[in-house]
Amino acid sequence: MKTIEIGSARGEASKRVDGMLKVADLPDGQPMAIPVTIIQGATDGPVLWLHGCVHGNEYCGAYIIQTFLRALEPSQLRGSVVALPFLNLTASQRNQRMSPFEGYNVGDLNRCFPGNAAGGLTDQIGHVVWTELKRHATHLVDFHTALTPDTHWSLIAGHDGKVRGEGLGMARAFGYSPCLPTPPGTLTGSAMMAAGAAGIPSLIIEAGGIGSAFSPETVQEGAARLRNVARQLGMLEEQVADHGKLTLLSNFAWCKSAHGGMFKPAVRCGQPIKKGAVIGAMYNTHGEKVATERAAATGVVLAVNPGPLLPQGDILVHIGLDPRTETRAAE
Amino acid sequence: MKEIRVGTASAKSACRKIGTLRIGTLPDGSAMEIPVVIIRGKQPGPVLWLNGCVHGNEYCGTFIIHELLARLKPASLQGTVVALPVLNITAFQKGQRMSPFEGFAGGDLNRNFPGDANGTLTQQMAHAIYAPLKKQATHLVDFHTAMTEDVRWALFAAVGGKIGAESERLARAFGYSSTLPAPPTILGGSAMMTAAADGIAALIVECGGKGPAFTPEAVKDGGERLMNVLRALGMVKGKPRDYGKLNYFSNFAWVHATKGGLFQRSVACGERIEPGSVLGQFFDLHGRPNGDARAPKGGIVLAIHPGPMIGTGETLVHIGLDPREV
Repeated sequence: MKTIEIGSARGEASKRVDGMLKVADLPDGQPMAIPVTIIQGATDGPVLWLHGCVHGNEYCGAYIIQTFLRALEPSQLRGSVVALPFLNLTASQRNQRMSPFEGYNVGDLNRCFPGNAAGGLTDQIGHVVWTELKRHATHLVDFHTALTPDTHWSLIAGHDGKVRGEGLGMARAFGYSPCLPTPPGTLTGSAMMAAGAAGIPSLIIEAGGIGSAFSPETVQEGAARLRNVARQLGMLEEQVADHGKLTLLSNFAWCKSAHGGMFKPAVRCGQPIKKGAVIGAMYNTHGEKVATERAAATGVVLAVNPGPLLPQGDILVHIGLDPRTETRAAE
Repeated sequence: MKEIRVGTASAKSACRKIGTLRIGTLPDGSAMEIPVVIIRGKQPGPVLWLNGCVHGNEYCGTFIIHELLARLKPASLQGTVVALPVLNITAFQKGQRMSPFEGFAGGDLNRNFPGDANGTLTQQMAHAIYAPLKKQATHLVDFHTAMTEDVRWALFAAVGGKIGAESERLARAFGYSSTLPAPPTILGGSAMMTAAADGIAALIVECGGKGPAFTPEAVKDGGERLMNVLRALGMVKGKPRDYGKLNYFSNFAWVHATKGGLFQRSVACGERIEPGSVLGQFFDLHGRPNGDARAPKGGIVLAIHPGPMIGTGETLVHIGLDPREV
């Protein structure tokens, strides 16, 4: 059986091993190292790569990954799980999206893949992570959040053939209804699209909100859904749960605010919405209504900005376009 | 009637006036101004002063104040409501507790009242706010949050005498079950304790968590409870609702985390705990359990850290001690 070795973690058959992967140097010369867990099963099979906190303050995914790992019995696994729950660790430490050590305007790690060994800090982090991912992974699940606890949707790399087909299978197994098969040319630089282009079926899960805006229920349920993805990939000899058909989207639209102020949203994630419908209202600090905010497109609400304060141009609502129930029966 | 004035807002008769109060100057020379709303009734009566966002990221109180302002009409009001929904405006803009322009360690606005006209930025801000408050307010309600949306408790200035009794009346009218009669020895420099020492009855309401961690229901309910304070003070018509007995504490205990890591709480605000009760669990970066957090004292959970990451020395839990029904 082939050994998977990443950073200081060296996989062993039917075991869980933990280690650290150095992704860069800190300004004082100490290593910037991120946690890696490798669980190799008893036999060869898929290598399911899981990562979280690409955006540092999107903690829900790290909790889902870790809850999933704790319930996994290595000897019952076919293939391997590689988990990096905190990719952008210095950003997580500071409860922010991008690394506090990133000085350039390229700090969004999920726009930096496949990375650059001679680029800015985040480019170099992207390069180190991508090198290992490309070497080992057969499938990728990348965890993100939006802003509020009720966020639940997914995206897959929409590259034709196996990437799209197996990606849809993973999305169905995870089973959040709204799913965007992402066309190449969109979300360029994301781990998902870089992996898709390299022939690795890839799924992004958007679960919960930034910071502490997620519930223990979302974590428990997310871990169970992730286990169902492992079943779908034939990594566990368990019956695959059927979460029903996906609601496929053609693309998404951002509704941006033309005003700054105190925002009170009037919509929730998952609800259908029509162009021009009221999505919330903006107030000034005296408590007077400044504007009624309306939907820029028709579709399904994927994410909502809870406010309470927004500068002009911030994203109010994220809308999935052309939602349609998939025609083929769920597997 | 005598003019009530705060910054550019001036009320001489029944009216609703908005304006701004200058509390400092920004480094580029422009004014640091905060919003003021005055709603004055036809009849003389109490001057109820409302403060929000003394700590910049405690937005829930601003929304509760706005909720009340939207419901109030000068024609049906006796006395005056003076609302400063956003005290620490630059901290408010940045979503943080203290002003980003405060360079010294004394940046907690609620430890700097009555302020100092020649002090640091935050001390000068406090001075600009406290001078009109001291001159005009008869009652003060100051809104704060803790960390999570389930926070609901209050503190009143238990300074004895008429002011202590009047402060307690505010607490009973607001009616959060968990209430601390705050002895004069604690919270020095808070607007509440400073005002009480100057003969102004005062209450702090702790509702919701910082940032977006509060619900529309908490805002609506808070607005109604605040309206009940106006009923109790005779400022609006209607029999005040009786929220029943309150749980009074002898004091509170802050418990700081003595280690860092991932933290998942297992208790809710308002829950009764015993010494040694499990409050939550720590995990390391690999997700391996790294010990339980336990309560050093018994009482009622007033605030608890929501995780998902906690650093050494952060507030882990805030416990109301020796709860007794009064």
